[in-house]
Amino acid sequence: MGEKKNHEDQKYINGLLQNNSFIIQAIYDKFVPKVVNYIKQNSGSVHQAQDVVQDTLITIFNQASAKNLQLTCPFDAYFFLLCKCKWLNELKKSSNKEVTINEEVLSKNDDAHELAFETSVFGEKQVLFAEMFAKLGDACKDLLKATFKTKSMEDVAKNLGVTYAYARKKKSLCIGKLTELVRSSPKFNQIKM
Amino acid sequence: MEEEKYIQFEAYLEQNLNEEELEAFEHKLKTDSDFNEGFQTYKSLNQFLDHKFKNEDASEAFKNNLEGISNAYFNKDEASNKKQKPFNFYKYAVAACVVALLGFFVFNQFSTPAYSDFNNYNAISLTVRGENDALLKTAETAFNNKDFAKAEDTFSALIKLDATNAEYKLYSAISNLELNNFKTAEALLNDVKSGHSVYKNKAIWFLGLSKLKQEDYKSCLNILKTIPEGAEDYKRAQKLINKLD
Repeated sequence: MGEKKNHEDQKYINGLLQNNSFIIQAIYDKFVPKVVNYIKQNSGSVHQAQDVVQDTLITIFNQASAKNLQLTCPFDAYFFLLCKCKWLNELKKSSNKEVTINEEVLSKNDDAHELAFETSVFGEKQVLFAEMFAKLGDACKDLLKATFKTKSMEDVAKNLGVTYAYARKKKSLCIGKLTELVRSSPKFNQIKM
Repeated sequence: MEEEKYIQFEAYLEQNLNEEELEAFEHKLKTDSDFNEGFQTYKSLNQFLDHKFKNEDASEAFKNNLEGISNAYFNKDEASNKKQKPFNFYKYAVAACVVALLGFFVFNQFSTPAYSDFNNYNAISLTVRGENDALLKTAETAFNNKDFAKAEDTFSALIKLDATNAEYKLYSAISNLELNNFKTAEALLNDVKSGHSVYKNKAIWFLGLSKLKQEDYKSCLNILKTIPEGAEDYKRAQKLINKLD
């Protein structure tokens, strides 16, 4: 996206990142009613709208903390597109059609669409990765958790009662296993990486 | 072979490859698309796990806070939707009352006045005179009971006995007016009007009402305007004039 200047609405992204209740509340008051209306008008319920909004904000939070999300468009447009896209995907899923992500909704080439597309793909990947992680065996889960939570591999090895070399090898093999699970998932090819 | 690949991926990310290995690895990334794709996924997963576990607490705190705000927002929304029903009902009830009241005033103010708005007479009392007591009593009772046919008959009889009595003529006229005998009524009223009795102005008022009942508003107006300011019915006449004008 080059060197684009951040939009003043970056404050909403930063607020989410800081878990600022005031900002989160402001997002609900200002931007959520439009989303609720849209979902209600498109065969959804208020309850479903609540879930879509919540999931979308979690995705934004995750992208902001993992990828240093920089907003180059109004938050309103970005947020609405994300929720809309999420809802249309939900509809497609529930009607058992093949899930094709974002194409129609997010194909227009402006900042809001581009950014919403990026976040949307990021979110889909997160969901897929979390799903596949859950499929790993407990030994891998525990090792990976320990590895990423603890800074030093030596400590990890000590805590798990294995050698340092084994812990390192095991880590790469567990991520390798996860890589295979992800790559063999049908969802994986539907997500534009 | 596969295992070796992942160990290599990890070593590359950890920058644990020597120069030779590094060159070979990067060459393979450029030439082997499956290898490359595997590596990109491995790298993404590495980042995902790193973020997932390092930010677990912050992420959990955010989710909890978000859920609280979300629930408060949507429950408030639901609650206010529920509350809105009685509130709306209350609003509609008030609106209906206002409309009804407005309607009442507007109706009174702007609707065309009708004879029935004005034909409220006080009960008459005629039996003080001593003469023709029976007839007078009959006339009085009939008139007060709004039996105007009987009242008219009796007043006619009384007029025959006392042809100059303006009071009989007035009540006879009113009875005729009630019976829609406008010609007779107006003849009697004109008679009283052209006389000099205390009923003179009363006669003009009822002439006006006769025209009103016949919906001849223009004549009604012209007649009412001739009622002098000091007359008993002057105020009522002015009101009626205002409504007709």
